[in-house]
Amino acid sequence: MRKILKSPTGLIGTVLLAIVFFVTVFGPWVAPYDPQAFDPINRLAGPSLQHWLGTDQYGRDLFSRMLNGAPSTVAFGLGATLLGVGVGSIIGVIAGVAGGRTDSIIMRILDGMLAMPELLFTLLIVTFLGGGTTQAMLAVAVTFTPGMARIARSSVLSVRTREYVLAAQARGESQSWIVGREVLPNALGPIIVEATIRVSFAIMIGATLGFLGLGAQPPSTEWGLMVAESRQFMFRNPWCVAVPGLAIAITAMGFNLFGDALRDAFDPKRSH
Amino acid sequence: MSHFTLTRRHVLMGMAAAGAIPGASFAQGSEPVPGGTLKVSHSTRIATLNVLSNSGPAEYPCMDMLYSGLTRMGFDNQPQPDLATEWTANDDATEFTFSLREGVTFHDGTPFTADDVVATYETILNPDVPSAARSVLTMVESVKAVDDLTVKFTLAAPFADLPYSTAHANARILSRAALEDDISKLDTTANGTGPFKLDTYDSARMVRLVKNENYYKPGQPYLDAVEMMLFPDLAAETANFLSGETDVMLTVQQADYERIASSSGIEGQQIGAGRYVCVVMRQDQEPWNDVRVRKALGMAIDRQLMVDIILEGLGRPAYDSIVAPELEFATDKPEIAYDPEGARALLAEAGYPDGLDVTLIASDRPAIRAQAAIVMQQTAAAAGFNLEIRTMPHDTYLAEEWMQGDFYIGYWGMQPTIDATYNLLLTSDASYQDTEWKNEEFDSLIQQGRSTANPEERAEIYAQAQALELEDKPYIVPFFEDVLTASRENVHEWSVAPISRFYFVEDVWMDQA
Repeated sequence: MRKILKSPTGLIGTVLLAIVFFVTVFGPWVAPYDPQAFDPINRLAGPSLQHWLGTDQYGRDLFSRMLNGAPSTVAFGLGATLLGVGVGSIIGVIAGVAGGRTDSIIMRILDGMLAMPELLFTLLIVTFLGGGTTQAMLAVAVTFTPGMARIARSSVLSVRTREYVLAAQARGESQSWIVGREVLPNALGPIIVEATIRVSFAIMIGATLGFLGLGAQPPSTEWGLMVAESRQFMFRNPWCVAVPGLAIAITAMGFNLFGDALRDAFDPKRSH
Repeated sequence: MSHFTLTRRHVLMGMAAAGAIPGASFAQGSEPVPGGTLKVSHSTRIATLNVLSNSGPAEYPCMDMLYSGLTRMGFDNQPQPDLATEWTANDDATEFTFSLREGVTFHDGTPFTADDVVATYETILNPDVPSAARSVLTMVESVKAVDDLTVKFTLAAPFADLPYSTAHANARILSRAALEDDISKLDTTANGTGPFKLDTYDSARMVRLVKNENYYKPGQPYLDAVEMMLFPDLAAETANFLSGETDVMLTVQQADYERIASSSGIEGQQIGAGRYVCVVMRQDQEPWNDVRVRKALGMAIDRQLMVDIILEGLGRPAYDSIVAPELEFATDKPEIAYDPEGARALLAEAGYPDGLDVTLIASDRPAIRAQAAIVMQQTAAAAGFNLEIRTMPHDTYLAEEWMQGDFYIGYWGMQPTIDATYNLLLTSDASYQDTEWKNEEFDSLIQQGRSTANPEERAEIYAQAQALELEDKPYIVPFFEDVLTASRENVHEWSVAPISRFYFVEDVWMDQA
């Protein structure tokens, strides 16, 4: 952790993430207004003492809406990533450990899935499953699975032929013991790093889906949806697009920088 | 600005009522000047030119320019002569005789005769050919050419509104030759009798129409050409219009209207029309079977707020009748004030003293449905209605909720007559009957209205029908949406009929530099 904080990217990333998590946990409580309450007289207003970040087309307080949308947006990113990383890692470890024909079959299928651009693939799944937050989360998770499986497999492969694994095999340990105690703990680093960076992608894809009307539905305060709903009013009050847009950017950047720093910290070659 | 537009619209209406006398364009006190190319921007594709079946918002103006019908809906929402110069009906409205205009030719030079009318209507009524106008012409039993310039319609049942039906945007006259040829050719070619001829058809970019020198109104159209330019992106469309690249913006979004209309050199038009959102409350289900609950919800909605927020003030509050004020025989509807306390009391009287928890369904397209739901949720909360909004993709909505669910948001376009409006939704055998209201008295009134030719008697009948609708409140109708369009100042006489399918582009002219 100290290593992460030493690099400027790591520091910025950590600070941004700290803010994001604070907002995620406490945001809905500290919001000054009900995120759904109208204020018809102050529609599309700029920042003022009354409404710190202005109001949207219904006169709803943008600051409160942004705070309120944080949990769902961040939970979406984390949830989709956890699911994708979990499933992907299991597949990858199985392929890496089993090797031979199983490995070939699994990896060829995943290669086929990887050939599709990420966003297109997500859109395809969402179109198939129908819109909604849960469906969008599933779709992002499915899209993440092949990439994660590849990374898990390669890190398993790099560990599998190390001396301590060979020693365990020579000792006659069972296969599951070797995987659980020797291979996995040592292969976990790259997976965690990749997962952290992926959270930012998940949040951005989630926002994109919300923007396209395929994710969260009104009157939800999901940030991507907020951008989509107020896009028409951009010329009259740029704040109603800028506020949720910036929130997405800060969150994505936080995870991304933190992930970068994490990778550097895990990488022995870069630590000197 | 809007004040000016209104007066201008009335001038236009007056003109149309006067029967569109050639050369009667007197806006700004100057004579129309021939020449010029009008560039019209639109944001939806002109996917087909097939006049029998098309329905796109940008396809209608093309059809209005390329083809003529027997009758045509004017800006005053009344049928006026087009290819038919006059028409008469027998007393019980079962036989209509149309006299046709002399000397009209199709764009390829072949003369227009009664035989083409017969061929067109036989095609429209042929169930094997997709045609959008068939639903308003189902009562037509036969169409016969009496002579070259007279056509007689015989109806299976009385129908006084036939001249409205013949003005249907998809009931335009095609030549017999075109109909007997491969019908799919109509998708990309057009041989009509309208004021403009097809020059270029590129559905992905531009449709260009040029002046028909032989149009039946002498000296018209004034324009040399009209270019319908597609801008799939709204921001690009607006930017091009504001910079002067295009002359007319076919449809303006409510959110942009103020900004566009107040730009210099641009005139916005706000045309009162009958497009509406309605709240469906299915009457064979609890709690909507109780008229008090429906009335309470009606009182719990702040209609003016909905107009202000959702329509940016570009519309009018409606008071729970689907009949637009523009329609013939429409009655004045009493205002329903926003009264959450009264609504709460009425709800308590109906047996819900602690309020009512219900789920309101709104499809995600167009956005106005969800917007209406959001505002309803906020204003009705004060009256004890606890609305949970569930939005869903439009396809799911159509498959699972529409005409099945008990509480959802509908969205409908304007119909040309009261008969068409009610027969679409509210009579027991209406095409999209989804309230289960099924009032026999109402049905018989609508039937009577159809078969009565006398306007005074019809007015009385339709007044009773509308009173029934108000009393039983099958729908909550919070507002009517205005039609919005904009043109540059050098364009004169550009307008849109309330039903937004008729444009009379032959009257449009441009200042010449």
